[in-house]
Parts: sequence; C-alpha cells; structure tokens
Amino acid sequence: MTKIKILCAVSCVALLAAASAPAAGPSADSVVAARKAGFKKIGGAMKAIRDQLASGGTNKPVMVSAAQTMAATAREQAKLFPAGTGPGAGVKTDALPAIWSDRATFDAAMNRLIAESTKLATVAGSGDSAAITAQLKATGATCAACHKQFRADN
Amino acid sequence: MARYRPAQGETARVQVWDLPIRLFHWTLVVLLAFSWWSGEQHDMERHRLSGYAILALVVFRVLWGFVGGRTARFAHFVRGPRAALAYVRSMRGARGPSAPGHNPIGGWSVLLMLALVAGMVGAGVFAVDVDGLESGPLADFVSFEQGRAAASVHHFLFNLLLAAIALHVAAIAFYRLWLRYDLVSPMLHGRSDRHRDEGPLGAAWWKAVLALAMAVACATAVARGFRF
Repeated sequence: MTKIKILCAVSCVALLAAASAPAAGPSADSVVAARKAGFKKIGGAMKAIRDQLASGGTNKPVMVSAAQTMAATAREQAKLFPAGTGPGAGVKTDALPAIWSDRATFDAAMNRLIAESTKLATVAGSGDSAAITAQLKATGATCAACHKQFRADN
Repeated sequence: MARYRPAQGETARVQVWDLPIRLFHWTLVVLLAFSWWSGEQHDMERHRLSGYAILALVVFRVLWGFVGGRTARFAHFVRGPRAALAYVRSMRGARGPSAPGHNPIGGWSVLLMLALVAGMVGAGVFAVDVDGLESGPLADFVSFEQGRAAASVHHFLFNLLLAAIALHVAAIAFYRLWLRYDLVSPMLHGRSDRHRDEGPLGAAWWKAVLALAMAVACATAVARGFRF
C-alpha cells in the first residue's frame, strides 16, 4: 500500500515538474504556429459573420458565437508576440520587426482589435444588420491598419 | 528581308479586326491596369467592380469567338502545332501577303491570355483576404482556408499573366523592329496594308449587342453571388 502511495507521490511530482518545465518558455516555432492558428481563427470567424450578412441572413447564434470567438482569440493573440519570435528567430513569419521596435504602437493596435471585436460580440446579438455591418467594418479596419504597419505581404 | 507591298490597284486598306475586338482589347488593357492598381491599393470595392467588368469581357470574347467577325472566330485562328511550326519556319524567308487575322502562334497566345484572365477571375470570385472581411462575391460558398487558397492562386496567376503580357509586348516589338511590321495601328483602326484582301469581316452589330448583353448578365449574376 505504501509502495503505491510512494509511486503516486513520485508520479505527481514528476507530472508537476513536467508541467512547470516550459518555464523556460515554449519554442519560437510553437508560438508562431499558435498565433498563426489564432489569426486564422479570427479570419474564419470574421468570414462567418460576413457570410451571414451577405446572404441576408441574421442567424443570431452563429454571429454571436463567431464574434465571441474573435474577441476571446484576440485577447490570446496579444500574448503571442514575445521577444525572439520575429523574422530574425529563424522561423517563417510575416511579423515585421517593427512589432518589437515599436511595441507601444503594436500593443495599442492589438487593444483596438480587442475593443472593437468585444463591441462586435455585443452588437451581433442585436439582430440589427446595419449596425452589425458597421461594427464588422470597424473591426476589420483594425485588422487592416495593423497589417499595413506590422505585417509583411499584407 | 523581302516585304510585301500591295501592288497598284490592290486594296491597301484591308479590314483586319472588327470594332468589338478592338474595343475588347483596349478595354481589357485599361481594366487589367486598373485591377492591378486597385489591388495594390487594397481598394477592394473598386477591385471587385473591375473584376466583374473583366468577367463580362471574357464571356463576351468567348461568345464573339463563335459569332463574331471572321478574324475573331476561334475556328479561324486556332490551328494545330504543325501550322504553328510551319509559320515559324516561314518567318525566316521572304513573306508574301498573309491572310488577315491571328497567325498560328498568335492564336495560341490569344487562348493562353484568355485562359489566364479567366483563371484569375475564377480564383478571384472565391478569394478571401487575410482578414476574412474582404472577399470575392462567391466566397460564402467556400471556407476561409479555401478562400485563402483561392487568393494564392489569384496572385500566382497574376504573375503568369504579367509574364504573358511581357511576351506579348516583346513579340509586338520584334515584329516592329525586326520584321518592320506594325501590329499596333491595325488594333487601333482595324485596317492594314500588309494582308491580302479576303473581304469584309462580317461582324454583325446586333450579334455584338446580344453577346454583350449576355456577358453583362453573367457578370451581374456572379457579382450578386447568384442571389436575386
């Protein structure tokens, strides 16, 4: 019985150690992959809302959940630009060095995306397609503005 | 190089290109330039409009290839590889008066250009930009990833099209400088003095109007995403 207890304790410690091992930070590759996936998720959600509007439909659950995905993902994305994940890090990325040299502007642009997409999540539930269209454009404008300044091949 | 000069009394001004073909050609030039510019500016509203107009042009050109003037018809200028090779060989020697219209090499160039422009429109209508906001009129039939792939194809084909246009312009320069053969003016006023006369081109204006109406209807349907 004690043997089992000890085994349990050891494996718990081992698991904890394994879990805390990435304290050194995930690799640049995995960060870049994660943020690419995140932006694709945002783009896909954006398209889902746009498609609803284009087809004249106002499927509220679809639009609300897509907008919430955008807002939630945007918050995660802001954390995925640590130093050392730029074009110099040997990873394939369209992120421009300006993100790190002009961090305050980049963070402000990121915050605009978070603010506008959060607002979109509220407006999406209104069923007012004109208001949703306007807010979708406002959100898209934050994408475009940031890409212009901080993304290669925009 | 012996060059063909029309004999006295021979018609010096032979009809080579009908008016719809000439309008098609120069409108396409202007619209491709405008599409390039608006695409670079990321002015997607105008880029889409330009694309719809190009789509109408392509549909019109295909229809005109069946019902247009003699030199506009596919049956007139689409020739096999043997004819193309024979034509290249004939360029070395002295040339007599040739029939008005596309030569066997030029015919293939027309098909290539048409295919590239059609391919660009085809990819463009499904394309989705990186933000997922701007997209072609039929993008809601595809997923975000498929739309992004369509955008990549759109970009890739544009580079091929630029290469084809460069080749086209180089060929015109070659004819002008090497063979002393002006290809540009006939595309402007429709006539040439370097061909034997084969009579009027037989382009009926009402067929042109009908073909254009059908082309515009097609482009409008696509522009509206087939939602009426």
